[in-house]
Amino acid sequence: MSAERWKEDEALLESLRKGAPGAVDELLRLYQGKIFNLAMSILKNESDAEEAAQDVFMTVIRKVETFQGNSAFYSWIYRICVNTCLMRLRGKRRNETVSIEEFMPVFTDEGMHASPMDDWSKEVERDALNEELGWMIRKFTEELSEKYRVVFVLSDVEGLSNEETARILGLTVPAIKSRLHRARLYLREQLSRYLREGKAE
Amino acid sequence: MNCKELAYMLADYCNGSMDPRLREELDTHLVRCEPCMAFTKTFQATCEETWKLREAIEYAIPAEVRERLDLFVRAAALKYPDKMREYRNQIERDRREKVADLVGAAAAGKLSSAAALLVESHCAACPECREYFDALRKTGALQPGDPPAVFRSHMIALMQALPPGEEFFLA
Repeated sequence: MSAERWKEDEALLESLRKGAPGAVDELLRLYQGKIFNLAMSILKNESDAEEAAQDVFMTVIRKVETFQGNSAFYSWIYRICVNTCLMRLRGKRRNETVSIEEFMPVFTDEGMHASPMDDWSKEVERDALNEELGWMIRKFTEELSEKYRVVFVLSDVEGLSNEETARILGLTVPAIKSRLHRARLYLREQLSRYLREGKAE
Repeated sequence: MNCKELAYMLADYCNGSMDPRLREELDTHLVRCEPCMAFTKTFQATCEETWKLREAIEYAIPAEVRERLDLFVRAAALKYPDKMREYRNQIERDRREKVADLVGAAAAGKLSSAAALLVESHCAACPECREYFDALRKTGALQPGDPPAVFRSHMIALMQALPPGEEFFLA
């Protein structure tokens, strides 16, 4: 979080509280894209994300007067967004998700790798693969259960620190670290399988 | 250290936040263990590929979604809370009063020298405001009702151009 962003947030909060003209425009300018994308990555559906974003902004406008300045403004907004989206998910039939356990590395009783490892790290440096990989990462992320997906999106996609993510989700930092690590291990394994299959064909 | 422990400590290793002594231990294991080396490199590559995505998907929002969201939130913001409208009305009232005061001071020849200079140079370039002041001077009396909106907004801009704390009228 840059000092500049922080200042912008402070000014925005002040003008929203006063109900200053232009405050809502500024709120939209700074947060519309972020909130929509966060909602998109949790809900995975454009019209759901749009409705969630509407709810988020309404909540922000209505509750801004009761917002306590003891957490950062953006983390308050993100938190509202995460809660709004999770509530929507709860009201729905569960989405199909994969079991993350199936993608965790397997070890022998002595704690050694149980299967041989391919080093494909050089392969993905090829520019030609870039777009395809990006697309696959998104697809694999979408298949994660929201427990991992939300953490992964806030940390690795939004670029928030573990502390910030913990605050937004109301979880401890160790819990965030553990979920994030498992999500990355999952993604590594998914990419390995994907690249291996590509070679086999 | 075994492979399993290494795999679960990779996050701190890759982002450079690992304690140097532990790091050394990991490095020692890595040079001796081919699977772990491959695992670490591909783990690192996975993280890097993900971070690359940041620039690509960040804040992409379809134009029509943006437009609808804009309209919805703006329309709703006018209703919630009513305070917002009240605040705007208050501003509007203040502005009307201020302009009325300015016009009154001008009619009574009591504009401060800075304000008089501003009004004069503005009127040289603005026919609407010049007309209003000309009428004021001719009749020597205030017109009934509010001055035209254009005139008001110009006068507000003039008053805002005064240095902070400086009044536009003579005491």
